[in-house]
Amino acid sequence: MGGPAERPVVILADDDEAITSNLAPFLDRAGFTVHVASDGEAALDLVQRLDPDGCVLDVLMPGLDGREVLRRLRRGGRWLPVVLLTQVGESAERAIALDEGADDYLNKPFDPYELLARLRAVLRRARPGRRPLSASPTLRARDLRMDRISRRAWLRDTELVLTPKAMLLLDYLVTHPDELMTRDRLLEVLWGFDFPVGTRAVDNRIAELRRALGDDPARPEWIATVPGQGYRFAARVDDAL
Amino acid sequence: MKRPPTGTVLRVLAPLLAGAALGVILQAVAPRIRLYTSASPGLVAGIAGLLGTAAVAVVILGRRRAAAAAAAASAAAVRQVAEDAARDRLRFFMRLDHELKNPLTAIRAGLANIEQTGGMVLASAGTVTALASVSAQADRIARLVSDLRRLADLETQEIELAPVDLTGLLDEVAEAIGEIPAARERFIRVTAPRAPWPLPLVEGDRDLLFMAVQNLVANAVKFSVPGDTVEVRASEDGDTLLLEVADTGAGIPADELGQVWQELARGAAARSLPGTGIGLALVRVIVVRHGGQVAIRSRDGQGTVVGIRLPVPGRARIAPDVAALRHDRDTPGMAAV
Repeated sequence: MGGPAERPVVILADDDEAITSNLAPFLDRAGFTVHVASDGEAALDLVQRLDPDGCVLDVLMPGLDGREVLRRLRRGGRWLPVVLLTQVGESAERAIALDEGADDYLNKPFDPYELLARLRAVLRRARPGRRPLSASPTLRARDLRMDRISRRAWLRDTELVLTPKAMLLLDYLVTHPDELMTRDRLLEVLWGFDFPVGTRAVDNRIAELRRALGDDPARPEWIATVPGQGYRFAARVDDAL
Repeated sequence: MKRPPTGTVLRVLAPLLAGAALGVILQAVAPRIRLYTSASPGLVAGIAGLLGTAAVAVVILGRRRAAAAAAAASAAAVRQVAEDAARDRLRFFMRLDHELKNPLTAIRAGLANIEQTGGMVLASAGTVTALASVSAQADRIARLVSDLRRLADLETQEIELAPVDLTGLLDEVAEAIGEIPAARERFIRVTAPRAPWPLPLVEGDRDLLFMAVQNLVANAVKFSVPGDTVEVRASEDGDTLLLEVADTGAGIPADELGQVWQELARGAAARSLPGTGIGLALVRVIVVRHGGQVAIRSRDGQGTVVGIRLPVPGRARIAPDVAALRHDRDTPGMAAV
């Protein structure tokens, strides 16, 4: 098991050899020790044997698919960070289903550097022995409280009135705090496919969220703008008790 | 329609054959690419699979079209055929999308690998150029895949309904279009009424409506030349809101006008221009999902006007859209969907 100074050990599970044979050396050169599994059983087995730092799971595999592997890991109390590689254009809503508890996901065909960014982020955010924020039913960030199952949020005692897309965006930001989210990434989260134009769609939803949270864009306490790049959820997030 | 069983066999074998053929060709004509294979064995496998899938897709699509055309001879069957075809098409896009995604992912990872190993492989300037080209083409296929996917998604996805102010949306579209360099060489005018009252609000998904209008204006810019005029006109028309995007550009020949709303339809004039041929199909799906209608009028060499008609909430509804009956109206060079 690798500490922060060592090379993190990750399992890469995908049944398509064309993908693993390219991604594994890529991740290896980027500083990870990669073990490849070509199906779900092999992935579970590797996790048992190696106790890795993280896991990249393809959703569609013969036998045990990625979601089932994830469910079994979580049921067995293993909370290592997991990035799901999803096949169809899914939005975050479907991709990070609460009961499955993935830390993050990427739609194929993804940019390998985006996988690197997601993987590093989930490893950095990992809370050893505890479930990831993305698997928590209720979250708290300062005086914001979120019930993720009923998709409702309260600021102090007032319930926020948000469009479904804005709620989806808030949910993704809150479950990935202190992480730079590019507009393209957030568009993919909102729509499940990449929008060729109109990253303004993201700006509009962020503006809606800031209005609801009473956030001043010039001196944001909740959602920070990263100039020329995207946004970052700035408040500290924890499980609500 | 009877189909010989060999068709099925062929369909299964075709990607493999295409892949194998590509492998042979690569070995024979491109010794430089063999270098890539040593750095990234999966890259070539990915490309081969991709090409194979695409080849099969083209064949299947062609057959589907032919079958649909034959059955449509009976007027009474048209609607049923159209509905079946729409469902078939959707299923087909989802499958195609699925089959293309893995090879594309592998290609991208392969390219990233080569980039990482940089110095070792990139010995000559020619290699760098070839690599950049592979990368650009992979992006192009990825764009097509994502466009097709988006189209399939939009036909089924639930649409978020909220009041949308089209006047503000048009301003935003104009701003976004202004960022396209070619737009600065066109006269672009956006007009929306303010008197005696502004446009009524429509009900819909603002992002999708933005995408539809943006697509139309970008098309108008694309199919015109410096000095041409592009007008975006919004007006209230009875119980509906009419939005027109007009240009003094190249126009569309009458014999191509009937197909413009179909996915992957690209006119002779469009072949030299970048694009995936999904734009208008996407616009149609978005408008139809909003309970509206689209129509196009064009004169070859004079220009084109595309109209979007959206229902205004609380007023009478627009007659149900008959997406399948692509009837040309009596005016030559006019098609409504």
